[in-house]
Amino acid sequence: MKNIISIQDLTFTYPGADKPTLDHLNLKIEKGDFLAIVGNNGCGKSTLCKVFNGLIPHFISGTFSGNVWVDGKNTLEADVGVLAHKVGYVYQDFENQIVRPTVLDDASYACLNYGMKDYKERGGEALSQCGLKGREDEYIWQLSGGQTHLLALAGAVALGPDVLILDEPIAQLDPGHADRIYDVLKELNEKYGKTIIVIEHHTEYIADYCKNVLLLRDGKAAWMLPAGEALARVDELIQSNIFPPQVTIAGHRLRSECMVPFENPLPTTVEDGKQAFSSLILQQDRKEKLDCPKQKEAARFTDVTVAYRSVKGEPKTVFDGLNLSIHKGEKIALIGSNGAGKSTLMKMLVGLLKPTDGVVELHGISLKNMKADQLSRQISLVYQNPEEMFIKDSIYSDIAYAMQVRNVKDWKEKTEGLLKRFRLSELSDRDGRLLSGGQMRRASLAIGVALNPEILLLDEPTANLDIATRKEIMRTLSDMKDVTDTVMIATHDMQLVCEWAERIIVLCQGQVMADGTRDEIFGDTQLISKVGIRPPEIFSMGQALDQRALCYTVEEFLNAFSYETSRAGGNK
Amino acid sequence: MMQKLSESVLDKFSMDFLRNQVLKNAYGNDDTVIAKRDPRILLIWYLFFGLVPWFVNDLPFLLGCFLLVMVTTVLAKVAGLVLLLFAVGVFTQTGYLLIATWVFGGDASAIAPLLILTLKVATISLASVTVFSGLDPDRLSNGLMWFGCPERLSFSISYAYRMLPMLMEEFQNVLLSYRLRGNPPVRETVRGKIKYLIYQIKIIIHAFYPLMLNTAKRSRTTVEALELKGYRYAAVNKEVRKMKLSSLKVIYDDMIFLAVSFLWVAVTIFISTMI
Repeated sequence: MKNIISIQDLTFTYPGADKPTLDHLNLKIEKGDFLAIVGNNGCGKSTLCKVFNGLIPHFISGTFSGNVWVDGKNTLEADVGVLAHKVGYVYQDFENQIVRPTVLDDASYACLNYGMKDYKERGGEALSQCGLKGREDEYIWQLSGGQTHLLALAGAVALGPDVLILDEPIAQLDPGHADRIYDVLKELNEKYGKTIIVIEHHTEYIADYCKNVLLLRDGKAAWMLPAGEALARVDELIQSNIFPPQVTIAGHRLRSECMVPFENPLPTTVEDGKQAFSSLILQQDRKEKLDCPKQKEAARFTDVTVAYRSVKGEPKTVFDGLNLSIHKGEKIALIGSNGAGKSTLMKMLVGLLKPTDGVVELHGISLKNMKADQLSRQISLVYQNPEEMFIKDSIYSDIAYAMQVRNVKDWKEKTEGLLKRFRLSELSDRDGRLLSGGQMRRASLAIGVALNPEILLLDEPTANLDIATRKEIMRTLSDMKDVTDTVMIATHDMQLVCEWAERIIVLCQGQVMADGTRDEIFGDTQLISKVGIRPPEIFSMGQALDQRALCYTVEEFLNAFSYETSRAGGNK
Repeated sequence: MMQKLSESVLDKFSMDFLRNQVLKNAYGNDDTVIAKRDPRILLIWYLFFGLVPWFVNDLPFLLGCFLLVMVTTVLAKVAGLVLLLFAVGVFTQTGYLLIATWVFGGDASAIAPLLILTLKVATISLASVTVFSGLDPDRLSNGLMWFGCPERLSFSISYAYRMLPMLMEEFQNVLLSYRLRGNPPVRETVRGKIKYLIYQIKIIIHAFYPLMLNTAKRSRTTVEALELKGYRYAAVNKEVRKMKLSSLKVIYDDMIFLAVSFLWVAVTIFISTMI
């Protein structure tokens, strides 16, 4: 196989940085590969991808040494325009990559700019390759998040590049849309022979779709291996803050505890796992206890109907006759696909959005009769996008703001306390926007709890984070369990749901489809396939082995299953 | 009752509403008679109705022009907000003088010049409204490009429209942050209301700082993406310019539109000479 990209002794240093981001890196990528690049935060993944398409060194300055060949051309000699025909790039914040108002216009824009006569046909062709056929004339704000991502991809595909690079393609998407993206990528790879490179933290997707994995460590290529082999290097990956699929971790744990003389490679998918774990037997039939009598009502929706204005035609109805009540002390996860109305529901609770019909009450008082100030002491919302929470120039003043303007006693001490609690003390004078993803998220949580609200609403607190940071936020959330009373989280992150939530509400097309404990929700296979949610991988693994098994974490899986022989047949 | 009314007016006039109106204005009516016209024809049409009324003082002619642009504005299905701004604009320019003169018993010799001035302003504004909000920004910028405006200007127009809704949404969210966390003064008394208004204005000014920074952060990606999409390359390439303009076509209906306008103007001139 021919190498489409080869890199020789590449070193790149950003201006003002004291050490190189990429450090004597050598790499060869074969044509037709489906490669996942993994690595710690700040190990140079995005920088490396910008080297492939010539933005470095042509557009972004810095100290560059070494050679990069893309399809036989040295990037130092070719300009960005020439390289754009060879390498397509989809950014992590892809919505900023779209510059034209209609779908077809945006997809064909690059072709038009490079003076291709058949630019419309090329754009249309790219759209159909990316599964957006039939949407050519729609305006971009009519698209959902997943479709917008596909459009950004189509814009890159239209130029007919051999290599496509995607920076965290599924970070903000629900599993249904994420599968869509990866299926499109797979087709581009297999049917159209494109080389696909993804930066990806979701190792389940790497296991399902990618051929090879490249681990970057400290600006160097640590290794590049076939996906199965790479994911089995559990210890090494965890050191770099990459978490292999839960099935692989379970296999690894079983092996290290010498439960089995595992000769075979570790399983990476549920399918593999069926084979590898076939001799495991469910030991106990665990039933979750349902106790805790319901406390008094904290919030209630009665016959609520909401509609948004639309640019053209009829307003879009999000909820039609929604009824729901939330009790004090509950830890609720709100789940459902993109556009099911999760954010809308939260915005209504804090009074940012008024229902067209029906009543929203907090502690028995209708929101209509409540002053904003009164409201903000009772309930607080942390946005999905933490940047929008930062209204001051340092996180110290951001956290202090709400207390300061209310003359809360000891606001200084309280702010210091919050900074310490969320491990932000050293960063207190930095601008929130310039922090890393995890720090930004922690700061936004600290802002959210500053007024000590009785009800805390979190919109996607783990979206856009790598797994390590996600774990950290999950830990923070568990820590917070004792200080906050009633918490509701809207999320796609089923691991978070399973490990944290006590009550799960499933929204689908403006209706409450299901409401219950995790056993009631995930145990209902019909419901799950109907609303398109996906339980954590380890749960599916357990189910595949034994229908009765309900285990949500690797820990629970290992407790629930064991080999016959290891218990000397005692449990039979 | 009064309070209810003012509250509901305030509710309507939210950022969300503004955003919706901007989008509606730009793209919501792409199937109207005006939006289907060739942008070059419309620009020529505008050249006449945007300039000539300034130099003519003939009342029947001005009235005729005003009626015509009123019809085209209706045909263009211009968004309500723009019309409101138009009405406020005309009134504050000259309309209040006209009404004041009229109410305080000014005779025809005082009213006529004011009426003419008001008609002039109204005609020109409505002609602008028809062209600039009846056409969608892309067709408009293509038209401008054909007349030799630099590519950069026409791209800026359509890009501004692309960005505006996003910026407004961001601005709205920042304002919401202030609303959720801030502590506005109580607005029971008249003094409280004034304080509240001052507070609101202060917040809006403060909200610009985070808005700028967030936008700057976003635009980094956009700038790189434009580079990759060959924007700079296209700006200097004559061939690309030609391709962009090849979508413009004058059709039969465009001619009818021009002919009807011309006829109408001819009729008004005829009438004014008859009088």
